[in-house]
Amino acid sequence: MIDAIRAELIKMRSMPGVWVTFGLAFPLAVLICVAVLARAGGPLGHTFSHVHTLRQRRELLGAGYFGLEVLAPVMGLLCVTGEYRHKTMTTTFVLRPVRSQVLGAKVVATALWSVLLALLTLVAVVAVGLPWNAALGGVTSQVTDQLGAVVPGLVLSAILLGLFGLGFGTLVKNQIAAILLTIGGTLVLESILIALARAIFHYDLNWLPNGAGAALAGDIARGLGGGGRGAGFHLLTWWQGGLVMLAWGFVPLVAGYFTTFRRDVT
Amino acid sequence: MTSANAGSLSAPRGLPLEFRSLSKQFGTVRAVDDLSFTVQPGRVTGFLGPNGSGKTTTLRILLGLVHPTSGTATIAGRRYQDLENPTATVGAVLEATSFHPARRARTHLRMAARAGGHDVTRADEVLELVGLGGDARRKAGTFSLGMRQRLELATALIGDPDILVLDEPSNGLDPQGIAWLRDFMRYLAGEGRTVLVSSHLLAEMAQTIDDAIIVSFGQLKAQGTLAQITSHLTGLSMRARSPEADRLCHVLGQAGLPFRRLGPDEVAIDGVTPEQVGPLLASNQVVLYELVQEGADLEQVFLSLTSGLGFGAVAQGTPGAVGVSDR
Ligand SMILES: Nc1ncnc2c1ncn2[C@@H]1O[C@H](COP(=O)(O)OP(=O)(O)O)[C@@H](O)[C@H]1O
Ligand SMILES: [Mg+2]
Repeated sequence: MIDAIRAELIKMRSMPGVWVTFGLAFPLAVLICVAVLARAGGPLGHTFSHVHTLRQRRELLGAGYFGLEVLAPVMGLLCVTGEYRHKTMTTTFVLRPVRSQVLGAKVVATALWSVLLALLTLVAVVAVGLPWNAALGGVTSQVTDQLGAVVPGLVLSAILLGLFGLGFGTLVKNQIAAILLTIGGTLVLESILIALARAIFHYDLNWLPNGAGAALAGDIARGLGGGGRGAGFHLLTWWQGGLVMLAWGFVPLVAGYFTTFRRDVT
Repeated sequence: MTSANAGSLSAPRGLPLEFRSLSKQFGTVRAVDDLSFTVQPGRVTGFLGPNGSGKTTTLRILLGLVHPTSGTATIAGRRYQDLENPTATVGAVLEATSFHPARRARTHLRMAARAGGHDVTRADEVLELVGLGGDARRKAGTFSLGMRQRLELATALIGDPDILVLDEPSNGLDPQGIAWLRDFMRYLAGEGRTVLVSSHLLAEMAQTIDDAIIVSFGQLKAQGTLAQITSHLTGLSMRARSPEADRLCHVLGQAGLPFRRLGPDEVAIDGVTPEQVGPLLASNQVVLYELVQEGADLEQVFLSLTSGLGFGAVAQGTPGAVGVSDR
């Protein structure tokens, strides 16, 4: 099994699409740092300021989360749709004929790369966000004190978002369709559904992937409240969000395994 | 002979392949229909049949890629997916497989080595083995068709397998590539490995294979050594035209070959091959104007077997069409 995982890691390492997600994670994290520091300066955001409230500190540390929301699922689905797109599934299954092992190895590989992706965003914060905050008069240790509160949620949601993409890719197979559906689904469709549910049913639709991931990520995902989740929106608690994300991660994966993944490869 | 000598291949175990009442239904198409045959180690076995006769499907079933509707395909009694070390047992070059275009040849093979549980140093060994040593760092997407075939072969050899399965491997290869592949397959079989190679062109395979399995519409049509198949299926007959037909008959009679006088300068010789008759007549300095094989040649055997016409059509032959004249 270790061998199968290492093979999957080599595959992901040699896929340009995976490097694109890594290439985007860093600048996106930097951009969010800028946004956080701008907001810290006041409601209009005309002046930059160092972060003062607890939530702002956590937002700064977790600046990478908003990139991860899109990039982790995309990376996960590249891991499987890339095989269909380039017709490499035959080779994969000849080398590893037990398909549950192949999917298991993809789960672990995706999880590991998602962790790396999350850590890369932390590097962006440390390299750009923290020095800038310090330059604005902030105390770095007051921010880094919050690492323990931020990193677990950040990493865990990155993993589960990655697995969500992997499972989704296993179900959909077509790479372009999967990417469009993931980005469109999580960024556009989810926001629309949330808005509609609020307007019509006065209901906070908080268990869709982004909302659930945000709950798991905790304070860091609250402040900038993307995805139609405006003020007063009730997120799930972090553990509820975690469980819902676990379902979003594994239900498509299991469904994909029992439908497309075990089919004849001709 | 080939660069195959450079590789470090271990002694193979000599495992047979067994197909038992194998069938596969794709919707309304019966791709494989109650197919049974065995492939022996130490020989190159041709798996022959026209396009669409179920060869690829059969091989994909063997490798656990396609689930059979009924029947079994086993390697020394076990399914591929149940083998302890599948890639060390069977190496496969299948049709319509591909590489990630951005992956370098060596990276691809290192991945394959990892996946199969082999040492990653095997990657460079098999690259040398197939003559791609100089292209290790090139991306697979930039490879020519011939190089891709070699890279596929390298992938198949990653686990130093006892059995090699190749599906139409000469598609897209140039004549040198085909000759190289032929030598390579013969070399591997010579070491005691089992080699099963599919093709829709019998003529191309005739010089490579020891045994043949001939299929059509998913059904077995013939199996055995090439000689068995051709001799037993054709009323092979030679026709000779000579200005000294009497002396020709005398020589044939002395050699114990059955002959029939067709005309003043024409003689038919039954149940022999041109390889037998030609040298005999040459050593006796019989002048020939013509020496023609009247039965079917391999390709005709193949066509008649696989078109469902039966043997009658073969025996008629087409005079002049099949020229095996004295050289
Ligand atoms: N996935 C599939 N779905 C439907 N029909 C298929 C599929 N794969 C192969 N076939 C059909 O099965 C038959 C045998 O195909 P194949 O095994 O590729 O033959 P060969 O390799 O001898 O050319 C053909 O009629 C082909 O169209
Ligand atoms: Mg075929």
